[in-house]
Amino acid sequence: MKTIKLKKESVQLVKDVLKDIKASPDLGIYKCVQCGMCTSVCPGARQTEYDPRDMIRRVLEDDETVIDDDNIWNCFSCYTCNSVCPSGNNASEINQILRQMSIDKGEGMKKIVSFAAYGDSFMELGVGSIPNNFFDVMVKDVGPGYMDLKINIEDIRADLGLGSYILPENAIDEVESILDNSGFKDRLEKIKRCK
Amino acid sequence: MKFIPDKDILLFKSCLVNVEYPGIESSTCYIFDRIDVDYYVDERQSCCTGLGHYYDLFDQISTTALAARNFHIAVETGHKNIAVMCATCYAILKKSAKILNQNEEARNKVNEILDDSNLEKREYTQGDMDPAQNIFHVAEIFFNKREEISSQVKVDLTGLRVATHHACHYCKVHYNDTIEGVRDPNLIDKLAEAVGVETIGWYDHKRVTCGAGFRQRFTNKEASLAVTAGKLQALKENKVDLLLHMCPNCQMQFDRYQPYIEEKLDTEFNIFHLNISQFIALAFGADPYKILGIQTHTVPIEPLLKKLNYSLESNQKVDVKAKKSIN
Repeated sequence: MKTIKLKKESVQLVKDVLKDIKASPDLGIYKCVQCGMCTSVCPGARQTEYDPRDMIRRVLEDDETVIDDDNIWNCFSCYTCNSVCPSGNNASEINQILRQMSIDKGEGMKKIVSFAAYGDSFMELGVGSIPNNFFDVMVKDVGPGYMDLKINIEDIRADLGLGSYILPENAIDEVESILDNSGFKDRLEKIKRCK
Repeated sequence: MKFIPDKDILLFKSCLVNVEYPGIESSTCYIFDRIDVDYYVDERQSCCTGLGHYYDLFDQISTTALAARNFHIAVETGHKNIAVMCATCYAILKKSAKILNQNEEARNKVNEILDDSNLEKREYTQGDMDPAQNIFHVAEIFFNKREEISSQVKVDLTGLRVATHHACHYCKVHYNDTIEGVRDPNLIDKLAEAVGVETIGWYDHKRVTCGAGFRQRFTNKEASLAVTAGKLQALKENKVDLLLHMCPNCQMQFDRYQPYIEEKLDTEFNIFHLNISQFIALAFGADPYKILGIQTHTVPIEPLLKKLNYSLESNQKVDVKAKKSIN
């Protein structure tokens, strides 16, 4: 007699993804029909081996190796996949969740350590900026005018009738305190240590 | 048609507008002042964390806690409607407001962080900020006032061949809130129309990203610039003079890197780049250096102004030789 066996399939990864703070309550990952619309419009897929459709399949099949796959770092965060998905899924959002899982495991920290200077300047000024370690490359690529701009920015802003863009001291203290208590400060130090 | 406010507006400062294209902010204020938009800028407002967020450096709870602080500043000063100049601020703030309203655990965690920081007064209460009703892109505020915009036009810009680049983080993230098209975006085309300029409309690559891709520009430069080059090529095939932007990061990718790509590909694109606020302010007759801030551009805007010389001189609004560009 033929017996029906229920496959004891784990769905831990997709459950973890859906539990993540970034996951929208209406995220349609279970509705994915693997149509490939996401990959067809993806600039990352056009330029690299990144394949959002396959990434979603692996999450649904509980293939945890997707977290360690270098290709997840080739997403452009442009959300074009999200805007065309007929199932209400959001591959870009899931990509960001997988990257955070990789960072939490430690491996992913190596991928973001070169952006750590952004965190330092944010806590110092309360505003973001292009991380200063990329500044030399920008000047090389864009030309010396880019250096002039950075040197003269406060004067240029004054000419335009704009005030300083740096927050007042007590506002910076608030920002720094929030980032201390949210765990960001510790996270940043941990990331910097993996240099 | 969704409700778009014209008062009680916090004009939300953007990190890349601040230091790359501050003329976007002065142009926005110049326009707001002339079309009766009541707005306010608060020096205490922090950045949205956008670049750091999409570098994956910031965790979601930290980004959301800083958003809660900024939301409180908006509400306490009576400027509950937030208008952004950067598409990533738009996406980040809407996402944070959704989390704060929908996710009780996250909201409690954020309030705990605020309490631990002696900022009990800034605690977030569910519903303080409605992501759909209180958070807008400046371009939407303009769209709602396009009749007033039309009535202020003093410079004829019709001689230009214009195309638009609609920022991904405006169109494609919270797409249910997007006005004037997602797959075929036309919001800034309609704003160009309001100042009397008919754009080329649809072109191949119109909805494609600028290519910046946050980390990609720095860690995957060839792939990043290949995307940008593809879009520039499509614009060149359409003989476009000017590309209009609505996000400073996209504008950076095109304006800062166009000469670099031209050199690499041994080709010339000769495309000018302006933010929609700069373009409308130009149509209003604003000074290119004192309001538009063209001195921070990498692709010089002076040749574009020369091209418009006839109409500019006839309006006596602009002396293109007033000051030399830093570039």
